[in-house]
Amino acid sequence: MAPLVEEHFSSLQLLLKAPSKDIVRQLCTDSFPSRAPESRALIDNTARILSVSSSEAMQVLTALHMLSHHVVYHNLAAPEQILSIFPDTFHPNLKNLLTKILLEQSTTWRNESLANQISLPQLVDMEWRVDMKTASDSVSRMAVPTCILHMKIQDSPHVSGSSCDSSVTVELSKETLDTMLDGLGRIRDQLSAVAGK
Amino acid sequence: MLQLHFTKDTLPDSVSNDFQTLNKFSEQQFVSLTELLYQFLLEPKESERFLAQLSEFAGEHGMGACPLRGLMKSILLLPHGAMKKNLSAEQVKEDMLSLGLNEDKATHFSDQWRVHYPVLSRLAVGQTLMVNQLVDMEWKFGVTVGTSELQKAGNIFLQLKLVVRKGNTTENVYMELTLPQFYNFLHEMERAKASMDCFS
Repeated sequence: MAPLVEEHFSSLQLLLKAPSKDIVRQLCTDSFPSRAPESRALIDNTARILSVSSSEAMQVLTALHMLSHHVVYHNLAAPEQILSIFPDTFHPNLKNLLTKILLEQSTTWRNESLANQISLPQLVDMEWRVDMKTASDSVSRMAVPTCILHMKIQDSPHVSGSSCDSSVTVELSKETLDTMLDGLGRIRDQLSAVAGK
Repeated sequence: MLQLHFTKDTLPDSVSNDFQTLNKFSEQQFVSLTELLYQFLLEPKESERFLAQLSEFAGEHGMGACPLRGLMKSILLLPHGAMKKNLSAEQVKEDMLSLGLNEDKATHFSDQWRVHYPVLSRLAVGQTLMVNQLVDMEWKFGVTVGTSELQKAGNIFLQLKLVVRKGNTTENVYMELTLPQFYNFLHEMERAKASMDCFS
């Protein structure tokens, strides 16, 4: 993660041209997603709101992006920790406003990062059904229950450009389901053991 | 026209002849042959072994291996049909008598049927079509220590690998679950099991 440097903070001072505190808050939120500072639409909008050039707008957004990510990365939760990032020469009111906004948003941003992190395809949804098999070509009369399980899995949006859902349907016999529950039970026990420590 | 339990089709004469040929075997020979037959029924994949055992039997008792194999092929029609139709031992015995087998041999065969029936019917059910059968499940869970966005993290993740049989090959399905998703999954599977248990 690249460090915050002097020019980032001088770009941030351009925020003093914002017409209201809510605008600053909005810009903070809009600049957080990855690659947001490169969005043409966002740059143009910011330039218009702050009455600055496009390149200056991009610098502001980049600086905001880096600042917010720095706070989230290091999990800075106390106001003093955030205030200490800014240089002494930084405009004090703007510094306090930014600190306040960052503190408000950091939990949301942190949870968002956790939800969007790299992972195997994520289970999105599941449903099950129990059927009764009454006949087949090998046995003309029977009463065998069977379980059909359907899972919707979403490929990580970081891996493929847009997320794509794939669907898996599996059939389980009673024995298989029992074995699976055995395994899941062991996972639950181990999880409780870990949580208890 | 014979009225048989194990099949509605008209059997060729050769089949009824084959059943009557069995009467020529001694009691000892018939018992051994029945044992080989049931061994094969209980392990239907062991066809090579079955054929080898028949050849050995033929050699020991001075008969041709080929005719013996042909004979057993006809005899097998009865237990296969009986499994399909969930026939009782009495019905099996009735069919054998209708086909001309003598009383003692028919009784012995149907007694063996009674003994092996639970395993045989479980086997038949096990051969029933299953679509995308779940064959295996592997899992691991761990803790995310940090990411590029968060220097220190501590959330638990669970990874599952499901092995699914598709036709003759298997396919692996990988997925990750968060902790709440895992508990929900476990809960749903327990409900499914409860539902299945109602029926057995």
